[in-house]
Amino acid sequence: MSDDTRILSVRGLNVQIPIPGSTLWPVRDVNIDVGRGETVAVVGESGCGKSLTALAIMGLLPRQAKVQSEALRLNAESLAEASPKRWRQLRGDRIAMIFQDPMTALDPCYRIGDQMCEILQQHRKISRSAAMKRSLDLLGKVGIPAPEERLKQYPHQLSGGLRQRVMIAMALLCEPELIIADEPTTALDVTIQAQILRLLRDIQRETNIGLLLITHDLGVVAGMADRIVVMYGGEVVEVGTCDQVLAQPLHPYTEGLVRSIPVPGETEQGEALGYIPGIVPRQVGERTACGFVDRCPYATSACREEPIAMRDAGDGRLMRCILPTDGSARDPDVWILPDETSAQSATNSGSL
Amino acid sequence: MPEVLTMRGVTRDYSVGSGFARKQTLRALRGVDLGVERGKTLGLVGESGCGKSTLAKILLGVEEPTSGEVLVGGKPIQSYDRIERARLIQPVFQDPYSSLNPRMTVEAIIAAPMRVRGEGGRSLQAKVHELAGEVGLPRHLVEAYPSQLSGGQRQRVAIARALIGEPEILICDEPTSALDVSVQSQILNLLHNLKRQLNLTMILISHNLAVVHHLADDVAVMYLGQIVERGPSRDIFEAARHPYSDALLKAVLPPRAGVRLPEMGLEAEFPSPVNPPSGCTFHPRCQKARALCAEQAPCRTDADAEHSYRCHFPNNLKDEECPQV
Amino acid sequence: MSPGRVALRRAIRHGGFWIGGTIIFVIVLMAIFAPLLTPYDPSVQSLSEGFVPPVWAEAGSWEHPLGTDNLGRDYFARLLYGARISLGLGLLTVIISGTIGTAMGITAGYWGGWPDMIINFFITVRLTLPVVLVALVVVALIGSSLWLLILVIGLLLWDRFAIVVRSATQQLAQREYITSARAIGSSTPRILFREILPNITGPLVVVTSIEIAHAILLEAALSFLGLGVQPPDVSWGLMVAEAKAQLLFRPWMIAIPGAALVLLIFAINLVGDALRDVTTPEGKA
Repeated sequence: MSDDTRILSVRGLNVQIPIPGSTLWPVRDVNIDVGRGETVAVVGESGCGKSLTALAIMGLLPRQAKVQSEALRLNAESLAEASPKRWRQLRGDRIAMIFQDPMTALDPCYRIGDQMCEILQQHRKISRSAAMKRSLDLLGKVGIPAPEERLKQYPHQLSGGLRQRVMIAMALLCEPELIIADEPTTALDVTIQAQILRLLRDIQRETNIGLLLITHDLGVVAGMADRIVVMYGGEVVEVGTCDQVLAQPLHPYTEGLVRSIPVPGETEQGEALGYIPGIVPRQVGERTACGFVDRCPYATSACREEPIAMRDAGDGRLMRCILPTDGSARDPDVWILPDETSAQSATNSGSL
Repeated sequence: MPEVLTMRGVTRDYSVGSGFARKQTLRALRGVDLGVERGKTLGLVGESGCGKSTLAKILLGVEEPTSGEVLVGGKPIQSYDRIERARLIQPVFQDPYSSLNPRMTVEAIIAAPMRVRGEGGRSLQAKVHELAGEVGLPRHLVEAYPSQLSGGQRQRVAIARALIGEPEILICDEPTSALDVSVQSQILNLLHNLKRQLNLTMILISHNLAVVHHLADDVAVMYLGQIVERGPSRDIFEAARHPYSDALLKAVLPPRAGVRLPEMGLEAEFPSPVNPPSGCTFHPRCQKARALCAEQAPCRTDADAEHSYRCHFPNNLKDEECPQV
Repeated sequence: MSPGRVALRRAIRHGGFWIGGTIIFVIVLMAIFAPLLTPYDPSVQSLSEGFVPPVWAEAGSWEHPLGTDNLGRDYFARLLYGARISLGLGLLTVIISGTIGTAMGITAGYWGGWPDMIINFFITVRLTLPVVLVALVVVALIGSSLWLLILVIGLLLWDRFAIVVRSATQQLAQREYITSARAIGSSTPRILFREILPNITGPLVVVTSIEIAHAILLEAALSFLGLGVQPPDVSWGLMVAEAKAQLLFRPWMIAIPGAALVLLIFAINLVGDALRDVTTPEGKA
């Protein structure tokens, strides 16, 4: 991707959180690029650091978290040194965020219209009537029926799907260059989910906004993303286009994830599904080996000797694994394991 | 095969609005008929507010139906006392973080159903350990507290607790939706193996059709407190009659290259169960709706002996069923 | 590790718990071993030795480290024996009020519906009553005795228990493990005592500490007004009351029991705060 089409560029992002007795290191050396009009999905399971990455990019991490990065750029502007005031100007204006739960993300005390106007007037010199007009336009654009009435309503009067549409309209108010959507449809019913995803994708195509989609759901990724960034244990383990990664995952973790999802019409009823043995270890201290080694059926002694670096796998793909980059030497059935009994250790299972 | 569980015309009303507010009736279930044969798994599918959780609560005896009857083993569920009912029906809940008492050890949690019946001692302890092994729980975790377990391990504890009394019927309410994908598959494998080994009768409540497809022999689709379609799993997944079943099927997003987002064509949003639409309750969201749908509620129609639906204008009709013009 | 032991370990590392706990521990020891710590009987008068100042004053001596009062009673002995009454009264009243309040709170929170409405009504009625006035009226009508005092305060101070336990139970009743307990056929008492009660011990312990302090202060106030502890019994509140005439001439007489009260209440609140910190779960547990 050439530099001038790149909206967001993150290089070497690290997040550390001091806890009593030690320091958590939930995000390590993360690189992410989002181009204009591109949808990049950050995929991973709980505890992989994807949400913290999003919050770090938004400058929204709590004070005690230590954020370091080699580069954090929005267009040409470096955000790494941005002042809190500059952050406030950027958020909601150049970068907008859509959260998982629209009920808690909207303020229950204010009407929809007031909340939308407030965002606009915060960032633009605009009259209230003009702000209302623009809010109305956007509510119509995100497919909300009778938008005039909705402007005067409070969040609790709207259904979950409508609230998420309002969130999208709010994100679009200042014509941002980048939208970060953190699990935007996880709290919604399945039929509503498809509608909201379509809406998000159509708007993004139309306006050429960069979309950073944070999700655990590979199905959502398949329908939405241009490129996929797979995260595990705070690290990016695989990068590629959506079709590349889903059709031929290179990193064992990605392969394990894809193998563990039942698909009607493909997997038979009751067919043994693959799974990734063990649990995500606590992220503390420097890496001395591959972060996935304890759960990886392909692991060899070489995986334990040193941390694994990101490798170029050709076709613009990256992988953090020492297996061949052409996708050979893999056996998808390796994930179908007998049910684990005492195999997994409980020493690392303590809650945080 | 005899039906081990039968529901006839089960209706459940709630009164909403408390204190001085105007009371309204919320009809969570409207005349549900359902039967499950021994050793079969029934998948109950629907979105939030469709009444599937109310149905589970009625089966567990936590709530009483307003009208209609629930028969377990041919006898009304009310005729059993709480311990007999617990012997017959056991639940596995969605959120393993909220379904285990944080103040009890894993061993005490799994043993609780037997303790309630007055059993105890060495033999019970041995049974708990054996069962913990069967559900894939590491031995040393039996003395642990829930806070020391991962989500998947907690769900295994919940399954062991449900199985220790050898129930006839297992009710799984979204058993995997609080878990990570790679853990979800382990629990699905476990449930499938248990079902086969123990000849369990299972009611699987889920909004995730992929999960239902994986485990269920029969599928019932619920919408606004009613079963709008029911039939063998294969019939539903290959030739669903009701447009709502169709919409749910379309909404499944498989993690495959080249998958495109479905065109849902669902108009409007989920209606309020306090104020349901006239006629067919699905008509405001249905693309195929015609004038008749708003006026008259469709009756149950049988496609064949096992497959039935409630729709005036169903999909996937076989040739011989098409009305002669 | 059990949740109880986790809390204990956190308590050991908590500064407030140490400071408050040590103060309370010392006061309790002093109350229990009062006869060993002083040769004097707190109620024996010796008029010739009246108004001896404490040891740090010019005319003071180690014979009476805190001096004597107007009737020549040893002030240190009175302070030690007074602690017995103050602490004992605090504990006993909280046992009464805690039992009443917890029972009401659990009933209202678990069943909801009309039991909740009735209990809520009682809580509201109780909250409209000014505690000191009601206690004063009862004591004035029936006459004052230590046991009556404990009973009256115990029957008045259950409101906070009821409110806290009710809301804690309401939250727990939504939890699926309560539904699970019902589904495995648990009897209602089993659910209340095995599933709910252990999980509300956190807030319960905190309220208990607050209410002990509250009861001790209430006793002091009533004694100050002459309707609390009656001579020859002695309590810190009574000592303050008896010393009020000497406020301008011998200020230490009011300052010593006053300071003891402040210290005790402060320590109990420190421990209460610490208990709240250590029993609050970090995440979903």
